[in-house]
Amino acid sequence: MDLRPLILALVVSAACGGHDAAPAMGHEARVFAGGVIPPAGGPQVSGNPFRGDRQSAAEGERTFGVMNCDGCHGGGAVGWVGPSLRDGRWRYGGSDGEIFQSIYYGQPHGMPAYGGLLPPGAIWKLVTYLQSLEPPANVPTQSWK
Amino acid sequence: MTRMAVLTLLAVLPAGGAAQRGDWPMPAKDYAATRYSDLSEITGANAGRLRPVWSFSTGVLGGHEGQPLVVEHTMYVVTPYPNVLYAFDLTREGYPLKWKYRPAVDPNATGIACCDAINRGAFYAEGKIVYNLLDGHTVAVAAATGQELWKTRIADLSQGETTPVAPLVVKHRVIVGASGGEFGIHGWLKGLDLETGRIVWTAYNVGPDSEVLAKPRIFKPFYDRGAELGLTSWPADVWKNGGAPVWGWMSYDPDLDLLYYGTGNPAPYNPEQRAGDNKWTASVLARRPEDGTLVWAYQFTPHDGWDYDAASEMILADLVVGGRPRKVLVHFDKNGFAYTMDRATGEVLVAQPFVDVNWAKRVDVATGRPVVDSTKLTGASRGNVKHVCPTLEGGKSPASPAAYSPRTGLFYLATNNMCMDYQATRATRIAGTPFIGANTPYHAGRGGYLGAFIAWDAGVGKKVWQTTEPFPVWSGAVVTAGDVVFYGTLDGWFKAADARTGKVLWRFKVGSGVVGNPITFTGADGRQYVAVYAGIGGDWFLLSGDVRSDDPADVRPPADFMPDIARHTSQGGIVWIFAL
Ligand code: HEC
Repeated sequence: MDLRPLILALVVSAACGGHDAAPAMGHEARVFAGGVIPPAGGPQVSGNPFRGDRQSAAEGERTFGVMNCDGCHGGGAVGWVGPSLRDGRWRYGGSDGEIFQSIYYGQPHGMPAYGGLLPPGAIWKLVTYLQSLEPPANVPTQSWK
Repeated sequence: MTRMAVLTLLAVLPAGGAAQRGDWPMPAKDYAATRYSDLSEITGANAGRLRPVWSFSTGVLGGHEGQPLVVEHTMYVVTPYPNVLYAFDLTREGYPLKWKYRPAVDPNATGIACCDAINRGAFYAEGKIVYNLLDGHTVAVAAATGQELWKTRIADLSQGETTPVAPLVVKHRVIVGASGGEFGIHGWLKGLDLETGRIVWTAYNVGPDSEVLAKPRIFKPFYDRGAELGLTSWPADVWKNGGAPVWGWMSYDPDLDLLYYGTGNPAPYNPEQRAGDNKWTASVLARRPEDGTLVWAYQFTPHDGWDYDAASEMILADLVVGGRPRKVLVHFDKNGFAYTMDRATGEVLVAQPFVDVNWAKRVDVATGRPVVDSTKLTGASRGNVKHVCPTLEGGKSPASPAAYSPRTGLFYLATNNMCMDYQATRATRIAGTPFIGANTPYHAGRGGYLGAFIAWDAGVGKKVWQTTEPFPVWSGAVVTAGDVVFYGTLDGWFKAADARTGKVLWRFKVGSGVVGNPITFTGADGRQYVAVYAGIGGDWFLLSGDVRSDDPADVRPPADFMPDIARHTSQGGIVWIFAL
């Protein structure tokens, strides 16, 4: 399935109201992608329903571009202003549910919450994409001649 | 004295009043943004004997851009996020702290800031240190005590606005702007009241004349005609997320009462989403500081498709151009051309490339427009456009301001010798996320070296000398009456060079790459000192890959265009002081 129309429709409907405006940010607050606050309660988070599915990973990769994740994490998620997401190392945990939570609720050092914009299925495909990435060769030892 | 004369005098003096000859009270030392000091103890003959006399760890790892201030034997240092302000007592042994000020700064700003959580420094005025916190606030702190006097919210983080820019204080106005050209902000400049922090005026850089503060008969651009240029040069509504951030340096001419600053790139990077010139992105604007009124504007890169921000400083100098003495503004643009302009009118007098340029063949000074090479035009429908010179880091980065010596008549600047491929894609604006739409890998330019430090004659538009460097050069410069020029390198050397020949006289390895701007000042003992930050970062936080060692959960591969930078430097945060 091409996620693009779905995502764009979601963005547009969000822009047309239907959600409360983002509150003023405090210190443990998040930036909300598109200004849309994730629905209260949140989804049930268990295992990734698409784990290891290549088609889902490819869709997740597309969403990674459409949602501007690459603008902060770099193309291929190698790290940019946001941390590398392909080094096999995680600040907030690398389990299915932990990666899901980072994307859904955001994180305090400038990771926007996407739970208001993206349906849980699209977030799981992002998780699937990130889990499919190979760490770069030079981790953890680098040597020079 | 008449009231008028008093006002003029006030305007000419540094806003501090108390600042003295050997002080460094504002980012570029003076309103003309020269970064020239008339101190002359250090000369070509003795610079080889320079030695470190003091250093201090700021406690912060990250891009240490900007520069310290020195006023009345106190040195003020602003760190990158979390924007701690230190005041060092230069009259006492070991320069102990007088105080430090630790503001509350929203950590979200570190992810929303496009290019590392840097700060470009503070401004001293009337007993206050004024600077911006990354999360969209301006603060004024009492220079004597470190007490916060006021704090004003100037920018909206949720829209992608962050505030690393150094303010300029003129006529009791604190002038500030915001970054966010990568986040689709609607760029602006604001004037705050120095006493209270109240926002007195807001001038947008794009949009309707009423918001741009372009008034009939007062606003007279040299080349452009007609009203509503900030609207008619855009598709409907696209300007509302059109970028034009303010993240570089400002200068001020008290005689003309004009404040100069450059605007950043249009958003997104994919130019096909914004047909037209996109005024006034990638432009220089001249405004009245009192109320923000726009007097003239000139666009260096119309319809920018290469991320050529015009945020570099506008240095004010009196030069002979074409045999005539002229009051000029000199600007080294990211786009690779150096512009010498009449600063009263905005007329381009000289525009010559100071690095290899191939996106345009030349600048037509009659029309003011670049003659663009159509094979270098970018856009989502054009695929991957190969080998565009210079890169979007700029022929010179706005982050590394140039210096001008009235003694040699030359300008001194750090340059980058790199080219890029530019593949644009369609971008969607989602507030609080990047609005870019381009992939732009770099490679070395002609000669294989990545940077050079050069001297430039802006009267004719010619390079006078250059010293090549293996890595891009990203530090500011300071030049002195001893005809010595100082700069730092990305691999962590701090250098003194002969301002007339470029010969490197002395160098010292400062522990981390230099992306800050050296200053020089008179110490309490009357001797000349030179200070600089070490702390690689800014764009190099993003681009250097593996120079980062502070986060076990963020391990990056080396940068493909400079795979061995991490062999020579790692992140840092050190203030250095040198003397003979
Ligand atoms: C505005 C910049 C920005 C955007 C856009 C962004 N991120 Fe992030 N992201 C960050 C930053 C910064 C962090 C680190 C946050 C922290 O440490 O608190 C982060 C953290 C994360 C983490 C946690 C990493 C870890 O080590 O635990 C994940 C997963 C993640 N982002 C995925 C995504 C995905 C998927 C998207 C797009 C849907 C996205 N990000 C969009 C900046 C961004």
